[in-house]
Amino acid sequence: MIATIAAREIRSGLVTPLLWVLLGVGQVVLAWIFLQVVEDFSALDAGERSASLTQELCVNLFGFAAVLAMFAAPLLAMRMLSAEFRDGGYDLLAAAPARLIEILLGKFIALAVLITPLCLLPAANLALLSGATTLDLGQVAAATLGLWLAALFFGAIGLQASSLTEQPGAAVLIAFGLLLLFSIIGRAESLTAQTLSLFGWLSWNEHLFRFLLGAVRLSDLAYFLLFTGFFLALAHRHLANRRLQ
Amino acid sequence: METLLRVTDLSRDFGRHSALSGVDLCLERGQVLGLLGPNGAGKTTCLRLLSGLLAPTSGRIEILGLDLTHRPLAAKRHLGYLPERPPLHPELRVDEYLTHCAHLHRLPRRTIPEAIATAKQRCGLEDQGRRLIAKLSRGYRQRLGLAQAILHRPPLLILDEPTEGLDPVQMRELRRLIRDLARDSGIILSSHLLPEVQSVCDRVMILHQGRVRFDAETRTARPTNLWRVRLGGETHVMHLNDLAPVAGALAIGLNQFQVDLQPDATSADLARAILLAGLELFELTPERSDLERTFFDLIGAEEHA
Repeated sequence: MIATIAAREIRSGLVTPLLWVLLGVGQVVLAWIFLQVVEDFSALDAGERSASLTQELCVNLFGFAAVLAMFAAPLLAMRMLSAEFRDGGYDLLAAAPARLIEILLGKFIALAVLITPLCLLPAANLALLSGATTLDLGQVAAATLGLWLAALFFGAIGLQASSLTEQPGAAVLIAFGLLLLFSIIGRAESLTAQTLSLFGWLSWNEHLFRFLLGAVRLSDLAYFLLFTGFFLALAHRHLANRRLQ
Repeated sequence: METLLRVTDLSRDFGRHSALSGVDLCLERGQVLGLLGPNGAGKTTCLRLLSGLLAPTSGRIEILGLDLTHRPLAAKRHLGYLPERPPLHPELRVDEYLTHCAHLHRLPRRTIPEAIATAKQRCGLEDQGRRLIAKLSRGYRQRLGLAQAILHRPPLLILDEPTEGLDPVQMRELRRLIRDLARDSGIILSSHLLPEVQSVCDRVMILHQGRVRFDAETRTARPTNLWRVRLGGETHVMHLNDLAPVAGALAIGLNQFQVDLQPDATSADLARAILLAGLELFELTPERSDLERTFFDLIGAEEHA
């Protein structure tokens, strides 16, 4: 059942222009950043270089791709629940012999599949340099994993926001608001006691940054998986409540 | 006969507003039940409850003996549902959509092509398989919605305003299809169109303000050979009783009478007899059936009808 729902969502995602527009726009900007970084790096003498080319490219390319994924995930997710509530398509699933968890996981897996090409774009750009220089493939792999986990986290927030309302526009705004909160919450640390690191831990960019530096830590993995699970659980709760409202 | 659906004391509140209250119903295989009522009567709420889209505030729904609240997956396997707005995905083609629906209803993979072909043939979609749903007309979308509901040959079929958006020819075809489907299923359909329900249903339930106000077989609710006449001048009911085509007459107002005709007499015979008796005939209208009277009484249109 999960595969059936995911396959339909993937098919719908591929035949509508949104994903292709996001990929096209993303690639244009990533290519521009890629050229900029390579040009700046080439202009420096060996002594002036503070970081390796792989590190420079990972931080810049994957960092921008994360921002792109932050915009893309809510846009892709709004179609999956919110627009279906509005157009009545969700009734098909609700009247079918399918569990809510199967419906939700089907949609989440489809979202993960649809957003994966976006997460692979920076690595594809880096692959252009494979013949010209030696890249730290481990770091590129860690950065790609981090970006993908961050995209899943954004997708879970997108689905949760999408489960709240029948207005896709409102769903996107709610998701952007939540993601913005999770982006800037780390700054709250400076407003409170310096020793309190909870707000810093809650911020997703801190965790992604360590992946971009090539460090795959269990605590960072746990952060993304924990919050992805948390927002999916909230979405499940909202779907269950729809029958009662 | 096999009982497909049994509903006991079903109620549903939205906040303080009671949308449905104390509904009991039982549907047998081969029966077509029409839910009739003005807009906002609770028809759609009732059907959404029966299809598991809404949870009841109180009451019990059993589909083939399976409790919809406690065993929703098993119960929904026996259910086909066409909502008010057909649940379509405009970006898919007709065949893709029906294949998806077949998987959702857990049809065995090898039976899917045949099930899709049969559903398309029954709904007049044979040559539409490659078309994008976004490009279909409203009537075809409605047919596709119906096709997904009957795809897995469910014993219980719930249709919410199935003739919405159909032209008169399509409506007639749909009525024929419903009668055809009712040979091995039980069907509940909602409508606010009285003639539609009368023409296709075996049983009618009128809902008003969330309560069942009328529940009867349509055979018993069909009009009899009763006519309403308005005559001019000073006419006594005895004048009418003396006429040959009249079996009995009843005064129901000033110069207004309800006339029961002899079994073989027609309204033309009555009109001719009235004129030959030298009476002035101002009005001759068929008396409404119990169903019509109840419906128009409920929607408050009796005076205007």
